[in-house]
Amino acid sequence: MIAINEIIGMVLMAIGLLFQVLGAFGLIRLPDVYNRLQAATKSITLGAISIAIGVGVAEPTLLPKALIVAFFLLLTNPIISHGIARAAYRSGVPLWKGSVIDQYEKALERSGKGGDPQ
Amino acid sequence: MNSLIFLALAILMFITMVALAVATVISKDLIKSAILLAGVSLIASFLFVLMRAPDVAMAEASIGSALTAMIMVYAIGRTRRFEEGGEEK
Amino acid sequence: MMERSTIQRSLPALAISILIAGTLFLAFVEIGFGENKVDSEDAVANRYIANGTTETGSSNLVTSVVVNYRGFDTLGEVTVLFLAATGVGAMINLLPEDGKKRSKGPKPSLIMTQGGMLAIPVIALFGTYVFLHGHLSPGGGFQGGVIIATAFLLYLIAKPDAKTSHRTLSLSESLAGLSFIGIGLIGLAVSGIFLDNVIEGFGVLGELVSGGLLPLIYIAIGIKVGSEMSGLVEKMRGDAS
Repeated sequence: MIAINEIIGMVLMAIGLLFQVLGAFGLIRLPDVYNRLQAATKSITLGAISIAIGVGVAEPTLLPKALIVAFFLLLTNPIISHGIARAAYRSGVPLWKGSVIDQYEKALERSGKGGDPQ
Repeated sequence: MNSLIFLALAILMFITMVALAVATVISKDLIKSAILLAGVSLIASFLFVLMRAPDVAMAEASIGSALTAMIMVYAIGRTRRFEEGGEEK
Repeated sequence: MMERSTIQRSLPALAISILIAGTLFLAFVEIGFGENKVDSEDAVANRYIANGTTETGSSNLVTSVVVNYRGFDTLGEVTVLFLAATGVGAMINLLPEDGKKRSKGPKPSLIMTQGGMLAIPVIALFGTYVFLHGHLSPGGGFQGGVIIATAFLLYLIAKPDAKTSHRTLSLSESLAGLSFIGIGLIGLAVSGIFLDNVIEGFGVLGELVSGGLLPLIYIAIGIKVGSEMSGLVEKMRGDAS
């Protein structure tokens, strides 16, 4: 007989794994840096957090550590992706040719040359 | 069963590590090389964890993939980014 | 023509490589890789595993070897690290300024700065934890110090214009190095052995305050490595203003 928390933990881990696979798939399939960062940030952050919490639920002694790991992922992963996207844009990586809108360029123009829109 | 999975994982990581190291050497863009080298260190630290050496893994992860990469990026900033023949048109 | 000169240049390199490879092979062919050396009777590892915790009071055997049994080697290791950092600093100071100012990138955005400021204390706390618990859990002075240096690196990334004091870094580094040698001299004065763990009983195995002088040595190493690496990163970054 498997305990109920182990089943919940397994389900969470499976969801996390699914999102990780989708994120990796997006990294390969999507056309340019910015679209790939979407896959690498949203999907993989959710996947990793889900796996961490799943491990914590399945093994309750690890729950505090798992929560700390999840919090740290939630804190760092979006910030780093923001930094990568910004650095890529500033160093002139072109957008995909099918892109329809570039709001960062407009924001840069509005705040003056080289200024920082905040 | 468990040890078989570990062995397969270790071999997979080892192959990835060698591939990354070769890519580090042949890349003409030095910043790309620095990042690939950080990847080599990261996988090396995973391998150290698999081999039950968490002390070494901790040192490898923080030195190899954080400090070395950043120091190399600073050093490239003081010199040139591309090797001979690697300049983008 | 081009082909031939390349081949001519690479032939000596190839010869040297084969020579080095041969020498290394001859040197290492005696060592049985993958052999189980621990199970033989007279292996020194057996003694460490059997007596390590009782002799040094540390539940992490790696720490008992690094700081106690081979503590003198660790002093040498710290010295090597110090010399390397000094060499890098000297080399950077020797480089002639090429006149043109290096192009400064755009300032980091608000998200980067504030996110970094949120993450830095967590990373620094983790580094401190690693070197405080060096005698209990994996990790130790070197690892903790480098993690603290990573936090310093993140600070320099989040705030590139920040004023940093190189004097403070080198002061804390020197004080930590001095206290390492001072702890070694305590052992020399009390029992005649450099870096001897002179405290009786070492406390209860597995508690934070245990292991005699080991945690103190690891704290000194942690502060020394942390400030050394931070100083290295700070020197590599160059002038902020």
